[in-house]
Amino acid sequence: MERSVDGSAGVSRRSVLTSLVAGLTATSGCLSRLRAMVGRQEPSAVTLSIKTLPVDEDPFAIPIARQLSAWFEAAGIRTSVQPMTAGELYQQVLLNHNFDVFVGQFPSHVTDPDALYSLLHSTYSVEPGLQNPFGYTNLLMDDLLEQQRVEAADARAEAAAAIQRQLVDVAPFSVIGFPHSVRAARTDQFTGWTAAFDPSIAHVLGLTRVDEDATTLRATTPDGRPMANLNPLMASYRGPSDATDLLYDPLARRHRGTLYPWAAGEWAWTESDPPELELTLREEMLWHDGEAVTADDVAFTYALLQDTSLGSLEQAVPALRFRGRSSLVENVAALDDLTVRFRFTDCTRAVASRALTVPILPEHIWSDRTSRAQFSGVDVGVTTTEALVTDAIPPVGSGPLAYESVTSRQRLVLDRYEDHFLHRDVETGLPSSFASGAPFERLELQFVASDSSAVDRIANGEADVTALGVGPDLTSRIGRTDELSLHVNRSPSFYLAGFNARRSPLTNPRFRVLLSRLVDRAALETSVFEGYVEPAASPLSGTTWLPSELSWSPDGSAAEFLGSDGVVDTEQARAAFRAAGYRYNEQGRLIR
Amino acid sequence: MGILAVLTEAAVVLSVLLSVSLGVVVGPRQVRRGLADHRARLWMAARPLAVLVAVLALNSVVRDYGVSVSWIIGLNVTDEIYAVEGAVVATLQSVAPLWFVYYLGYVYVYGYVFLLVFPLLATVVTGEHRLLRRTALAYTVNYAVGMTCYVLFVSYGPRNAVPTVEPLLFDLLPRFQLLTSEVNANTNVFPSLHTSLSVTAALLALDTHETFPKWTPAAVVLAASVVLSTMVLGIHWATDVIAGVLLAAFSVWLANDDRIDAIGRR
Repeated sequence: MERSVDGSAGVSRRSVLTSLVAGLTATSGCLSRLRAMVGRQEPSAVTLSIKTLPVDEDPFAIPIARQLSAWFEAAGIRTSVQPMTAGELYQQVLLNHNFDVFVGQFPSHVTDPDALYSLLHSTYSVEPGLQNPFGYTNLLMDDLLEQQRVEAADARAEAAAAIQRQLVDVAPFSVIGFPHSVRAARTDQFTGWTAAFDPSIAHVLGLTRVDEDATTLRATTPDGRPMANLNPLMASYRGPSDATDLLYDPLARRHRGTLYPWAAGEWAWTESDPPELELTLREEMLWHDGEAVTADDVAFTYALLQDTSLGSLEQAVPALRFRGRSSLVENVAALDDLTVRFRFTDCTRAVASRALTVPILPEHIWSDRTSRAQFSGVDVGVTTTEALVTDAIPPVGSGPLAYESVTSRQRLVLDRYEDHFLHRDVETGLPSSFASGAPFERLELQFVASDSSAVDRIANGEADVTALGVGPDLTSRIGRTDELSLHVNRSPSFYLAGFNARRSPLTNPRFRVLLSRLVDRAALETSVFEGYVEPAASPLSGTTWLPSELSWSPDGSAAEFLGSDGVVDTEQARAAFRAAGYRYNEQGRLIR
Repeated sequence: MGILAVLTEAAVVLSVLLSVSLGVVVGPRQVRRGLADHRARLWMAARPLAVLVAVLALNSVVRDYGVSVSWIIGLNVTDEIYAVEGAVVATLQSVAPLWFVYYLGYVYVYGYVFLLVFPLLATVVTGEHRLLRRTALAYTVNYAVGMTCYVLFVSYGPRNAVPTVEPLLFDLLPRFQLLTSEVNANTNVFPSLHTSLSVTAALLALDTHETFPKWTPAAVVLAASVVLSTMVLGIHWATDVIAGVLLAAFSVWLANDDRIDAIGRR
């Protein structure tokens, strides 16, 4: 202690004691004050990144993402847009769960309420793959999803409606709409483009050859993934209708709402609570390498989908796709070479039969892929199996087309498989569009760097059709060109903005709902899609499962836009976020 | 038009451009003398040209595998670039008249290749070996730095990232996509090698003006056109172009006469 300036003796003993006691008292008060302040999180500005595809790979994704980003910014949320190639985007979104918001077309078709089971059930929120990429968890939703599996008729429809209402209410993702894909095709070699064309089986097999000398059907695509990977279990490489659908046969195929026997020639239900099914494979089916397709392959496939390590690793490693459908199956037993018995979990027959539409894989190939995956012989510390990392090229399937070659990641060639039951002289009981098989010797999928050069290639006779939709700005050019015919069809896979509910503040359903209320579907319809879209609020739009109050109309209330005519009302938006408990800093940025 | 037709067109256009300008810039007498002595001149040029060919071969390998590596270790800078420069490219596009865009489209493909090949050809024919070595070394530096950046940074060009930017090259001259998609992965935009190599050629022309006096103005105009074309066609950001110009300046500084002599003596 220093001497005071006036030179007085300084501090008495009593004053020292007094101040010590006072100090201690103060300190204890101080500490609790300190404790009350330390370790709190300083509010920080909310930032979101939107991951999406570049313009070369999707004509709508970047425009949607930029528009969303502008709307979010208007509400004070700093937003960036990150374009990335499809393989990388879906690796980050589906497998690594490394995203805030992602914009794109949903990589699968949703036509049945049970398709939402794997998408939204909380038990899948921790698994990588197409199942619940949003990390969404809600016990109420889980109940509804389980309910629609066991209820029949009206009760199921009511459960399905409740699921969709809940979906809009808590917004794990926001449906934007079903695009009308614009395609260019030539008609001098093949016709029958009336249906939307994509590499899906119904469209490829439904064509008619008009030029007897035409041997090769050539389709262009801006998606390079089929040239890099043909593994049907690899979620990040598979699109909504995929080349692997042509390479592999499922037991049954759904076409226009009806389930047709495919690899299974026939089946019969033997029990119903829970359902049991006895099913017989078609005779003399062969894998593309000449081995016979057997009941053991079927039993193996369903076991593999549930655990690709087949029990060899400490924890189960489920497949990255088909999770909802494979979860319906309790047990599959091969009774003899061609007969299989399915025992399902507690569900209706209608739901159980969905499990029959997954591709059947050859045991003699995939049984070698059940070990822990390594990189060049090195274990990189990730528990996954070879089956979920292999590119599976060359693929061995049993489908109507067999793998021929891939040329420098630019061209995938598939040949008509003559031993397939469609191509043999046997009665199949399938509708006429399938029954005659592939109307060509060879299918060539050509990678093109952008959609305008795809149209150019078709006009020049180097390809027959654009496999995926092109930008609406090309419609007039396609219409003007004599060699080209223009086809516009509603795509069955919707555009969505998916939210990662594992990340704050997207964990908060109020925040997600407000984000989805910053999306003006009517404005997107005109400014981005130029009319080539059917705006929608539910993934089941266009099916009979859609409850009437969720059908979209420009002035509907499904999710009310916080503004009007595509312009966010900043005050209204901020008031809504404030009402949800959020605040704004001096710069007008939303903080949490 | 098929790839073969496009390649034939390119071969014809470039041969005509190169022979005509060789006649004008170098002069028929020099060309005849060069042709008479072609064995010796080619032999002298073999080493720098071999180095360049090796770099191009390495470049194509890096383009193939670098993209995959880039997605694992690279930094996605698309949005940072967009945040910095915003609508520069969209604005340029909106003020460029259609005839000018067509001109730039041809410049981007033919003008660029011509601009890079002519100095090599002219120096071989005239036996200007020091300039040949300078040019080859400068090009090599461009490729080396460019390849490294392509692995370190993932970046899409404006046509892929901004909805208001049109992919003009492929809309107006779609046949050129057959040529460029083979060489250009769409995530390799930072820096612009079109810019850096063109500016390199122009800077070398300025620096060695007395060697081919008639070439200098042509090189400068062409380089300026290529620089503009990369942006107006929606392929590169202004940021890529600036980085490209800096890279060009660096490569020309590095490939100066003293260093070339040092390499030559070894």
